[in-house]
Amino acid sequence: MSDENKSSSVPSAGEPVATRSAAPMWIIVTTLVLLFIGGIYFDRHSGWFNPKVYAPYTSAENLEGFQPQSGAAAALARGKKTYEAVCGICHGPDGLGKPGQAPPLAGSEWVVAKGFNRLAHIPLMGLAGNIKVAGKDWSMNMAAMGAALPDDDLAAVLTYIRSAWGNQASAVEGDDIKKIRSGMGGGSQPMTHDMLMAMPE
Amino acid sequence: MKTGLSIFIAAFIALGTSWCGFVLAPLLQLGSAQQTVILQTTDNWPLQRTGAATLGLQVYRAYGCAACHTEQVRQTGSAFEVTLTSLGNQKPADFIEFTKSLFVLPGLANYTNAIAASLNGWNGGLPKTLLTATDKDVATEMADRLKAVGVKSETAIIATGPDIARGWGSRLSVAADFLYDQPVQLGSLRAGPDLANIGVRAPDANWQLAHLYAPKSVTPNSTMPSFKFLFEVRKVGASPSPEALNLPKEFAAADGFEIVPKPAAKQLVAYLLSLKANVPLYEAPFTPATAAK
Ligand code: HEC
Ligand code: HEC
Repeated sequence: MSDENKSSSVPSAGEPVATRSAAPMWIIVTTLVLLFIGGIYFDRHSGWFNPKVYAPYTSAENLEGFQPQSGAAAALARGKKTYEAVCGICHGPDGLGKPGQAPPLAGSEWVVAKGFNRLAHIPLMGLAGNIKVAGKDWSMNMAAMGAALPDDDLAAVLTYIRSAWGNQASAVEGDDIKKIRSGMGGGSQPMTHDMLMAMPE
Repeated sequence: MKTGLSIFIAAFIALGTSWCGFVLAPLLQLGSAQQTVILQTTDNWPLQRTGAATLGLQVYRAYGCAACHTEQVRQTGSAFEVTLTSLGNQKPADFIEFTKSLFVLPGLANYTNAIAASLNGWNGGLPKTLLTATDKDVATEMADRLKAVGVKSETAIIATGPDIARGWGSRLSVAADFLYDQPVQLGSLRAGPDLANIGVRAPDANWQLAHLYAPKSVTPNSTMPSFKFLFEVRKVGASPSPEALNLPKEFAAADGFEIVPKPAAKQLVAYLLSLKANVPLYEAPFTPATAAK
């Protein structure tokens, strides 16, 4: 050690020199413990920087648990979601349809009819051939887009299209769809205008 | 200066981390905030303010209203509430008898007294709140049990906290509420009440104008300063102005004079009336009172 000092190239011997020493162990340990406690606290209370999570909710799951799940409004929200995923591609999120692709549902007499028996048969069985919608003639094909949906979801979709975009018609319950489904018989032929008109509204 | 570089690096890291924490992280978190949808509806929230109300925000800012008023409702918790809406074909007395069979269930045992007390002397009037201040599991269990015997109920979510108890809002304030506020007037001191929901609490523009002109004229003992300079006292013309304030005698102008709001006062009131905190959002869920049928 002393040899090293002698061979130092610093000429002025009297100048004070900054030395180093290791930080005391207890500071390091305390810091790590504090960081650990902070981490646990953060974990439990922060919601992981999710911009949707505010106190008093502690996490995204906690907040999800407080979302209203029952009632007519919830069915509408569910119907909207399902509609946009399944039917919206053709009929449009605004229900206006697209020329050459699908007729409108907004203002369609098939959708806002008093009863929903005919309406429910369209997504359950599909629709083919000539049909008049809001004064315009269509002659295309729609597959049975709703046949695979659970009763409750299809009911929610129909409730939604019957009350969105200015449409005003009664709600549809899951049990109604169940009844219609069980009364449908086996055939897989798509509906036509005449078949629809032959059944009760 | 052998340590110059280390000091620079240390200072850079210190300032850099706080910049990341105070500027970058909030930007990443909320910088892309957009209009959201009111829970269980297809309506947007918040709506862009009208022109007058947008200018009113600047008046609010200029006269330092935020020094005494906050615009942030706080919430300390959420509770579930189960309300009876239809007894099906049961008689009220049978139903009360039936609720006794619920008390042995582990989840509901703690609510025995509360339910019994709420049904004490009940004559069958509906809707009837059965359970308050409970949690989700208990509320769901209760609703399921009721459904099983053909009794209909609604489950509501109620935001709780001192601010909400004072009627200052229906739920906590969240970032989305301030989307169109530039700058946001959160405030930090409550010499006066919180104003986040004032547009619902005091929706009368004439009340607001009279309050600004002379707070004591509508709230005796008010310590809020009066903002008289936002009004003009002038001679009554050929016919009295329809905008003239209608004040109690001791605050009113002298005979032959009338007090009319200047544009800034009208803008400020338009802004105040646009302040609402009464719609449920995904991040601040609750059941609005009107939805409980
Ligand atoms: C692949 C595109 C497509 C999808 C997806 C689709 N439809 Fe259709 N839909 C059509 C076409 C095309 C017609 C017109 C059929 C015709 O001309 O006979 C139609 C007609 C209708 C009609 C009757 C006419 C009207 O506008 O009132 C209803 C009701 C309807 N669809 C409901 C639905 C529902 C509900 C869903 C979702 C479950 C759905 N559709 C999904 C293409 C589609
Ligand atoms: C010196 C503090 C102070 C300032 C500055 C102040 N206020 Fe107030 N404000 C109060 C107090 C205290 C009350 C409660 C008494 C009352 O209702 O008058 C109040 C009440 C109110 C109320 C009624 C609230 C209710 O729930 O009834 C409104 C609205 C209001 N102030 C708006 C304003 C506006 C707008 C400004 C800026 C132009 C402003 N205040 C500036 C102290 C202040």
